Amino acid sequence: MTVTETLAFSDEAMKKYEWLLSRYPTRKAALLPTLRIAESEFGELGVPQMKYVADLMEIPPATVFGVVTFYTHYRRAGVGKYHLQVCSTLSCALRGSGDVVSRVTERLGIGVGETSECGLFTLSKVECLGSCDTAPVIQCNDDYHEGLSLEDVDALIEQLRQEAGKGGA
Amino acid sequence: MSDSNSTVRWTLNGTEVENEAGMTIMEAAKVHGVDIPQFCYHPGLSIAGNCRICMVESNRSPKPVISCSERIAEGLEIKTQSEVAVDARNSVMEFQLINHPLDCPVCDKAGECVLQDHSYEHGPDRSRFVEDKNIRHTKELGPTIDIWGNRCIVCTRCVRFCDEISGTGELCVVERGDRSVVDVFPGVPIDNSLAGNTVDICPVGALISSDFKYEARVWNMDKTSSVCGGCSRGCNVEVETLDGFVKRLTPRENLDVNDWWMCDHGRYGWRHLYADSRLEGAQHDGQAVSPTGTSGALHQLLSSSSSTAFLVDPFMTCEELHLVRSIANSLGGSTIAGWLPAAGTEENFPGGFKISADKHPNRKGAEHVLGGDLFTTSADQLKSALSNGSIDTLVAFVGGDGFEGAGGEWNDLISKAGKRIVFATQQGSWCEGADLVIPATAPLEKEGVWVNEDDRAQRTRSCRSLTSNHFPSELVVLQELQVHMEQRNRPLSAAGIFRELSEASDAFSGHSHSSLGDSGSPLSQRPAAMSSEGGQS
Ligand code: SF4
Ligand code: SF4
Ligand code: FES
Ligand code: FES
Repeated sequence: MTVTETLAFSDEAMKKYEWLLSRYPTRKAALLPTLRIAESEFGELGVPQMKYVADLMEIPPATVFGVVTFYTHYRRAGVGKYHLQVCSTLSCALRGSGDVVSRVTERLGIGVGETSECGLFTLSKVECLGSCDTAPVIQCNDDYHEGLSLEDVDALIEQLRQEAGKGGA
Repeated sequence: MSDSNSTVRWTLNGTEVENEAGMTIMEAAKVHGVDIPQFCYHPGLSIAGNCRICMVESNRSPKPVISCSERIAEGLEIKTQSEVAVDARNSVMEFQLINHPLDCPVCDKAGECVLQDHSYEHGPDRSRFVEDKNIRHTKELGPTIDIWGNRCIVCTRCVRFCDEISGTGELCVVERGDRSVVDVFPGVPIDNSLAGNTVDICPVGALISSDFKYEARVWNMDKTSSVCGGCSRGCNVEVETLDGFVKRLTPRENLDVNDWWMCDHGRYGWRHLYADSRLEGAQHDGQAVSPTGTSGALHQLLSSSSSTAFLVDPFMTCEELHLVRSIANSLGGSTIAGWLPAAGTEENFPGGFKISADKHPNRKGAEHVLGGDLFTTSADQLKSALSNGSIDTLVAFVGGDGFEGAGGEWNDLISKAGKRIVFATQQGSWCEGADLVIPATAPLEKEGVWVNEDDRAQRTRSCRSLTSNHFPSELVVLQELQVHMEQRNRPLSAAGIFRELSEASDAFSGHSHSSLGDSGSPLSQRPAAMSSEGGQS
């Protein structure tokens, strides 16, 4: 989703947010999960999104800024439709995750941390995904793709392209 | 202290000591003369415990503990100079200095920098760090505050100040680890009436006042302990001058008035001292009068007057007002009234700090010296006397910004007096057509006592010097006039005049300049007889 003039949580997100508030002792304490909601609603946590959360929660925007930049797992810039997160920790590294990264780079023409021109793919390196027994692993959005050979990587990219073509990116 | 329930016996560096229960090790040690280094701890803020420089050895913990947050307890044994403690401190210093630049020669904080001091005492004399130092931003955080990120030790004092004291929350720490640094949210600068305090409490030169940047090396400045004249709060301040010119104001701790803080209106208000509109010398009918001739000219005008009135302002010290009263008394049949400049808006902050709407540092004092109806009934009487032309000579004191705003009506009124003598800080319409214009001192240039809105008498001291301005103060001119009038043999210091006042007035009785000292006293709290000796006269 691109940033529009008026940011607002959907009704569903708002319900979730209100439920969250009932689970935390103070409003401010619910900041981390609220940011997660904002991230999935808006696709990224840039300046307008952080401001929206601050206003919603009635806390200074600086507080939100500090928290978002402290954690590395919040997405501060938008990602493509498919976020390819290649595990690079020990087991995956031993099982060739370095080659997996190179393969994605070769096929899509993007480096780590970059988004393809078509806006479909973003490539990231991440730490252990907790699936060492099936290394090497790519997490694409919320799904795991395990025990990958380089051919599997090609196939995954092809499959995602077709999916995007059908659904409309 | 004597109550055994609230007293804790513990051991500090091998000596058994007692302190009130609930104190932190750091506070309690200080009572016994042991200073423990600190960066993140500030008595006015919540305890963050993040810098670790205050670690000491404890018999209750296998590892050193931080003394700024650990409380004393019965049987606790603390060592601040043992190998463990010294080692811990030295290691913290080494970590602090890993990324800290060698900026002292160009850093405005040098000379009053906590890191510099501790580094001198506890730091290594060389660095084992061979990697590249990291670079963090240097930029404006707001209209008056810059940050030099490389110097930031991330103690969060400034962040806590904005959260807890000003309640404005503009600052945060961004990023983490060795990249962390203080910042503001994009587009939301730090801009509140207390912002300047963050620079004072930053233990290093990371937060810099853009007003003071590169203005002076702090050790070259002279300090005068004075009181801010910006409002009737009367924050205690240190006026720092270089070669006779003010360079900055910083708050002086006074837990009964301003804690450790002051507001930005007061902090940056000193520039009015050097405004182009300041009067530099006396003028008699448009002719310059020499500084030594001022009181003579004044005497000449007054001695030929059939009826004289005095119009005073709430910036004048109690001593100046006392002199006005004595002069008026000896002239016989004179009226005294006061005028008040416009009120401002009151600002209250969550940390308890208050900026008063009453912008008159000595309104209370003036009422004590000259009567409670000075600014009301007396003022009305003088107004009607002036309008029906029954005042022959008017002596008007026009401090502050003069008759702008609320005082406006006085502009017309004072011109109705037969003769007009004006003591003024600034040029303005009130000087036009006056028979005698005499330059007056402004707040920070006055020597004397002000009484704040809580009825607390405090000494304001002058930062004047021969280089910055050289006209005689009202305190001198008025006393010289008394000499001409044969009311006085020789001029006294402000302390001497205050002694006369305290003898003449119930409100001030028992108090003296020396008993008021640096931090003042409520008028109702008379000092013990012993300390009521006046200062030098
Ligand atoms: S800017 Fe100064 S006060 Fe603020 S965290 Fe850094 S060192 Fe501490
Ligand atoms: S609160 Fe009043 S007295 Fe204190 S610094 Fe501000 S103007 Fe001066
Ligand atoms: S190392 Fe890749 S999933 Fe654990
Ligand atoms: S002063 Fe104790 S941890 Fe900073």
